[in-house]
Amino acid sequence: MSSATVAASSRAPGRGPNRIGQVFRSDGFARFASYVFLLVLWQLLSLYEERFPPPAEVFGFLWTEVTGGSHGGVVRGEFWEHFAATLPRFTIGIAISMLLGVLTGVLIGGSKAAEALLKDTLLMLVALPAIIWAFLTQMWLGLGDYAVVITTFLSAFPFVAVNVVQGIQAVPRDLRRMSGAFHIAGYRRLRHLLLPAVAGYLFAGLRFAVIIGWNAVLLGEWFSSSEGVGWRSRYWYDANRYQGFVAWVVAFIAFIVLLDRLVLVRLQRRAFRWRDAQLSDMERQADEIDVGVTGA
Amino acid sequence: MATLQVEHLRKTFPAIERGSGPTTAIDDLTFEIGGHVFVSVVGPSGCGKSTLLNIVSGIETATRGSVTVSQDGRPARLGYVFQEPRLLPWRTVDQNMRYVLDGDDVRSRVEEYLRMVGLRDSGDKFPGQLSGGMQQRVGIARAFAVEPDLLLMDEPFSHLDAITARSLREQLQAIWTEAKKTVLFVTHDIAEAVQLSNRVLILAPGGRLYADVPIDLPYPRRASDHDVAMAQAELLGRFETMQEEADAADVTDVAS
Repeated sequence: MSSATVAASSRAPGRGPNRIGQVFRSDGFARFASYVFLLVLWQLLSLYEERFPPPAEVFGFLWTEVTGGSHGGVVRGEFWEHFAATLPRFTIGIAISMLLGVLTGVLIGGSKAAEALLKDTLLMLVALPAIIWAFLTQMWLGLGDYAVVITTFLSAFPFVAVNVVQGIQAVPRDLRRMSGAFHIAGYRRLRHLLLPAVAGYLFAGLRFAVIIGWNAVLLGEWFSSSEGVGWRSRYWYDANRYQGFVAWVVAFIAFIVLLDRLVLVRLQRRAFRWRDAQLSDMERQADEIDVGVTGA
Repeated sequence: MATLQVEHLRKTFPAIERGSGPTTAIDDLTFEIGGHVFVSVVGPSGCGKSTLLNIVSGIETATRGSVTVSQDGRPARLGYVFQEPRLLPWRTVDQNMRYVLDGDDVRSRVEEYLRMVGLRDSGDKFPGQLSGGMQQRVGIARAFAVEPDLLLMDEPFSHLDAITARSLREQLQAIWTEAKKTVLFVTHDIAEAVQLSNRVLILAPGGRLYADVPIDLPYPRRASDHDVAMAQAELLGRFETMQEEADAADVTDVAS
């Protein structure tokens, strides 16, 4: 009973005279305020430094990249074309990272020998910045998709693997012994015990991979491509059009923030349904304890 | 139903600290059980009760002697109920049952055994949505559902409150009577052992078999039954005598 009372009282702080105060204290407002703050800071910086173009100019440039028009010479709207070139490279790079990252992680997490053999190498890979891979792949493979995809993969993969290793080592011992006592092994154990236990770490790994991989794909394109988001940023940078360069920086930051908020956070919530069900059911659980005892 | 044969079983653990000798958990233990019986192993903590279960289930190996579980020539199937429910928190009750089951009749078995423990309608709940007692009932249903030749239970009610534990003890008798399994039940609670078992094995400190006591009372047995209470008092008396003897032996050990 006491747990139900606690849940009820913590759920009802909304009533009262302080409605406006609540809006100001909400997460949405805080996020909005942080964007406004950044814009103001940006505007102020641009007043003192002419190579730091003001927000209005940058967003104007971005608009022309999307719709076509004049950057001082007439251009087509090429915005979506470059995104269309980058996205497959990014997606393939991340997919390979996840696949090999999970396999490597399971291997290292599950076997002492594999851990001794591979863990230091993995840490070295984590420490290598994406730009090293961008240079190396350009030297090895020249211009084209391969260099970009491999840069993305090599940069993102170790973060997935490291997180999976940690997840595997955190699988509850009690549940491992239970599975052992019932002789559960192989695929069934992987699917129902290991993967769900690792899911939290896997999502942390995926989010890292997406952010690192997105940086890597842009670097890869900067050096090894003639189309794509990274290449287009470099194009305007080389042309000394700073507002163009910054406009593309804004676009790819916006992309990663949206991807995180709209896709990854939702996926994560889905994977942790069992935890939410538990929370939302607190009150009913308190009732069921009573029923369980009297009904038995 | 299987036969469990334990012959001259000995288990020692290497010294944890330098200077102290190895610890003996089980010492020259011999007994045999089989058929539709409910056998409890009781003893003071540290006398190797859980170690015995671990050896029977193959999690640990014997230092000397042998443990054989036989079932007309084929390998015997074991079921296990732990102190804690040990359910997968990210799987529903149904899925937890299916995790350990194989065959074409999985669905009907899940239904049958959940009904037996009174949780027919909780199949789609996650363990976190159930009370501790309900979770332990799922653990019991899971162990019975594998239709084991030998069911091992390791103090399954020791983490529950007294009221829940009492009602589960009564349910367990009903399930055992219906499902006709060979059960090896470990507990430190003598009253519980007497209420549930046909036969109680008392282990002394150091893991020797001190007494092998049949309990010939009809089921179902309630804790409040006069005969059950009498048997409990008698066994408790023997248990205390054993502990006094053990303490006296300790004193002579120190003196010599």
